[in-house]
Amino acid sequence: MISIKGLRVTYHGERRSVEALRGVSLNVRQGEVVSVVGESGSGKSTLLLALLRLLPYGTSVSGQVFLDDKDVLELSDEEFRKLRWCKIALVPQGSMNALTPVMTIGSQIAEPMEVHLDLDKVEAKRVAASLLEEVELPVHFSSRYPHQLSGGQRQRAAIAMALACNPNYLLADEPTTALDVIVQAEIVKLLLRLVRERNMGLLLVTHDLPLASGLSDRIAVMHDGAIVEEGESLELIESPQHRHTKALIAALKKLEVES
Amino acid sequence: MRLLHRWSLWALALGAIIAAIGPYFFKTSPEEAVAPPFVKPVWLAKDAPPSLHLTITEEHLERRFLWEYEPPLRFSLKGAIRFEVPPEVAQIVWQTPKGTMVLYDASKKAESRIDLDARDVSFKLALGLSPFQNPMPHLFPATGEYALRLESSEPPAEISLALQVPGSRWGLLGTDQRGRDVFHLFILGIRVSLLVGLSATFIATALGLAFGLSSGYFGGIIDAVIMRAVDVLLSVPTLPIMIVLAGLWGKGLFNLILILSAFSWMSTARTVRSMTLSLREAPFVEGLRALGAPSSYILWRHLLPEALPLLLANIALGVPGAVLAEAGLSFLGLSDPRLVSWGRMLHEAHAFGAFTSGAWWLILPPGFGIAGLCLVFLDLGRHLEEILDPRLRRKAL
Amino acid sequence: MNAAQAKNLSVFFSKGKEVTWALCGINFVLPLGGSLALIGESGSGKTTLLRALLGLVAPSEGEALLFDTDLSSAEAAKRRSVRRRCGYIAQDPYGSLPPTLSVEDAVAEVWQLVHGSTEEAKEKATSLLEELNIEREMFKSSLRNGLSGGQRQRVAIARALVLEPELLLADEPTSMQDASTRWDVLEVLKRRIKRGMALLFVTHDLLLAKVITERGLVLFQGNPCEEGPSKAIIENPMHPYTEALASALPRLGKPLKAAVRRRGAPKKEGGCPFLPFCPKSFDKCVTSPPFEDISLGRKVACWHFL
Repeated sequence: MISIKGLRVTYHGERRSVEALRGVSLNVRQGEVVSVVGESGSGKSTLLLALLRLLPYGTSVSGQVFLDDKDVLELSDEEFRKLRWCKIALVPQGSMNALTPVMTIGSQIAEPMEVHLDLDKVEAKRVAASLLEEVELPVHFSSRYPHQLSGGQRQRAAIAMALACNPNYLLADEPTTALDVIVQAEIVKLLLRLVRERNMGLLLVTHDLPLASGLSDRIAVMHDGAIVEEGESLELIESPQHRHTKALIAALKKLEVES
Repeated sequence: MRLLHRWSLWALALGAIIAAIGPYFFKTSPEEAVAPPFVKPVWLAKDAPPSLHLTITEEHLERRFLWEYEPPLRFSLKGAIRFEVPPEVAQIVWQTPKGTMVLYDASKKAESRIDLDARDVSFKLALGLSPFQNPMPHLFPATGEYALRLESSEPPAEISLALQVPGSRWGLLGTDQRGRDVFHLFILGIRVSLLVGLSATFIATALGLAFGLSSGYFGGIIDAVIMRAVDVLLSVPTLPIMIVLAGLWGKGLFNLILILSAFSWMSTARTVRSMTLSLREAPFVEGLRALGAPSSYILWRHLLPEALPLLLANIALGVPGAVLAEAGLSFLGLSDPRLVSWGRMLHEAHAFGAFTSGAWWLILPPGFGIAGLCLVFLDLGRHLEEILDPRLRRKAL
Repeated sequence: MNAAQAKNLSVFFSKGKEVTWALCGINFVLPLGGSLALIGESGSGKTTLLRALLGLVAPSEGEALLFDTDLSSAEAAKRRSVRRRCGYIAQDPYGSLPPTLSVEDAVAEVWQLVHGSTEEAKEKATSLLEELNIEREMFKSSLRNGLSGGQRQRVAIARALVLEPELLLADEPTSMQDASTRWDVLEVLKRRIKRGMALLFVTHDLLLAKVITERGLVLFQGNPCEEGPSKAIIENPMHPYTEALASALPRLGKPLKAAVRRRGAPKKEGGCPFLPFCPKSFDKCVTSPPFEDISLGRKVACWHFL
C-alpha cells in the first residue's frame, strides 16, 4: 500500500516560494483505483512528482510517504532509484512528455528494463514485445518511431513503458487529456484491465470528474494544495460534503440537464 | 533587478564615468611630454630620481634642494624677469657641490625671457661645452646640495622662473616614446574603445534588425537578395577586407565605425529573420491581416517588440568584436594617428621600440584594458541571454 | 442570406502521390442568428471546414461561404468586410494571442484596428474581460507568460467577441477551462446568441453541443454521419458513430462503457467510411450510404435507417 501522510511541498523560486502541497494524506492499495481530481494549479501534478522524488533540486519536502512500510522520503537517492520504476512507475501526460522522438518504441520500452533490471538487450526486447501485446498495440510497432503513431497509440506505448519493470503501483498524470473521447474510453478500459490482471494500485490524477467517477473506486478532490474531500466514488458524487466538491458537481450536472 | 548584481554593470558604469570626466583631472594636454621617453612608473622605479619642479618668484629668489641620484636626463628653465630699471648685474646662478656657474646673464636688460633646455646647443655652448657633449653630468656633477638663484644688484619687479628636471620615474604608468603620460593616454583610450565599440555595434544591430525584419516578413525577392548579401559578406574574410577599405577610404574614426558596422550586421539579421519567419505564420498574425491590419502595423507593434530582446544580447556580445576589430586595425596602423586608442598605443609601442627597450608598462595596460572591456561586455551579454533563455540559468526552478 | 453555408464542399490535401480527403461532400446551412455544432474527433475534418469557410484553405470541390461570400476567391476589400463580421476562436490559445501585448491591449487592439478609437477600445475590452471573469489585476499582465491555458483561452474569446460579430466560429473554446469556468464562457456565448449572434461551434463533446447549439452535424473522417437537433442527437443517437461518441462520454456516476472498435479492416473503395469500425455493419455497407433526410430535420448516412 502507498500511504501518504501529511505531505508538504514548497517550491522555491528566485523571488518567492510557493506552497504547492499543504499537508496531503492519502492511501492507495494494490488492486485499487484512486483518482485525485483537481483543477489546474491545485497541486495534483506536484503530488505525483513528489511520490517519485522527481521534484526540482532545492524544493522543500516534508511528511511521510510509505511504500509498503518503508518511508521513501527517508531513503537515499541510490536506494530510491532501486524502487523507482520497479515498484512504482509513472504514465505521464501527453505522450510528448513520455516518449523521445529519436528512439524506436521498442527500444524505449526496453530501456527501463536494461537500466533497472539489468536485462540484456535481447531479453529486454522480447519482454517489450509482449508488453506491446498487453497494451493492445501490434507487435511490429516495436520498430516504429513515436511520430508515426497516433495520440492514443502513443499513450498506450507510454503505459507499456511504465509497466516495463512490473511495478506494484502505477501513477498516471492526466493520461487521457488531449485524446479523442472514444480513444479515451479505450485507454481507460485498458488501464482497468491491467489493474485487475496485475493487481496493481493505480493513482490517477485528472481534472475530469466524470471520467474519474467512471473508473475509480475512490476519489480525492484536491483544491489549492490540499485534499478537501475523499470518499468512495458513487458516495462522493451523490452526496458531496465540501462546498468545493458541491460546486464542481453542480456545474457538471448543469451540463447534463440544461439544453 | 538581477542586472544590478552583476559586477560587469558596475565595472562598465565606472569605466564610463572615468572615460567621461577622468581626462579633466589631468593638468596637461595628453600630447605634451611630461617626462623623458620610456620612463618607468613611480611605483616601479623607486630609486630613480623623481621629477623636480621649482619656481623662483619675487619672494623666493633662491631655491635650494638636495640631489642624491644620478644626473637626470633633462633640464629646463623657463620664465621671465622684469626690472624697473635695467640692473647693473643680474645673473641666474646655478650652484653645485662642486662649484657655481652662470646659466643666464640678464644684466643691463629691463626684461628678459628665458627658455633654457639642456638639449639646446646654444645652452651647451654658453656653459662652455662642446655641442655634442651631454651637459647633465656637468650640471649635476655630484650628489649634494644644489641651489638656483638670481643674483642681481637690485631686486626685480617681477620674476617667474620654473625649473623642470624631469626624473626617471613618472606617474602611474610611466611615459611613452614621446614622453607622454601613459596613464593619461590609457584613460583617454577608454573613450575611443567604448565609442567605437558601442556605435559600431548599434549601427550593425540597427542594420541587422531592418534587414532581418524585411527579409523575414516580405519574403520573396527581398528575402533572396538580402540573404545572398549576407552569405557573401559572411564568407568574406573580414580583417583583410577592413585593411583594404581602411587603406582606400582613409583612416578617420567615422570611416572605421562604418567599416566595422558593415561587417557585423549579418548574424543579427539572420536571427531576426528566423524569428520573423516563425512569427509571421502565427495564427494571430493571420487574424490581424484578415482584419485588415497593414504590414507596417504588424511589423511595428508585434514583430519589432519581439525582436528587441534578441537584440540586447546581440549588442552586448557584439561590442567585444568591434573593440577587438578596432584594436586590431589600430595596431596595424590603420587608424587615425591623432586619435588615442588602446590599439594605437599598442601600435606605437610596437613601432617605437617599447618591446625592445623593455617598457612593458606601455604594452600591458592597453592589452589588459581591451581584454577587460571585452570581458565586461561578454558578462553583460551572458546575463541578458540568461534572462531570455531560462535554460541557461544555473538555479533550479 | 445565411451566416455560413457549405455546398457539397470537399477538400483534399496531396503530399506527393498520397492524397488525403479531409472533407467529402459536406452540406449545411447556418442561418443568421442560428447555432450549429460540428461534432467530431481529430481527423474528422472540422478544423479544415472552419479554415475553408474562412478562406484560408481553397475548396477542392464545392463551396464554402460566409455571408454568401467565398472568402478564398473574394477580393481583398470584400474579404476584409466579411471577416470583420465574424469572430474566430482558434483551437490553440497559445499561437492565437500576440506575445508582445498585455491582456487588455490584445483585446483592445482588435477594436482599434477596425474602429480607430482608443478609449472606446479600452472600454469594450475591459467590460468583455470582466464578463469572462478575468481578474482586474491580470489586465496589465503580459501575454508572454504567467497566464494559465484557461485564462489565455478566455482572452482569445474576448478578442473574438469584442467586435460584436454577427457570426462566431469557435473551435473547442472550452477545452482548457475547468468545470467552473466553463460555464462562464458558455453563459457569455448564450447571451450573445440570444442577442442574435450566429454560432458555429466545433467540439467533440456531445454534451456541450447540446447545451449551446440548436442543431448538430456529426463528422467522421471528413464525411457527414448524422445531422439534427442537438438534443435529439445525444439523447437518441442514430448513426453507430454517434452512438459510440455518446456512450464513450464520461458521465457523472456512470461507469465507462467503451464502444468496441474493430481495427485493421481497410476502408473499401466506395464503402461506408465507418465500415472498419462499425459494430453493426452488414452486407449493404460495402456501398456508401447517402446522407439523407429520414424524418423532419434529421439526416443520417447509415443503411440501417435508409
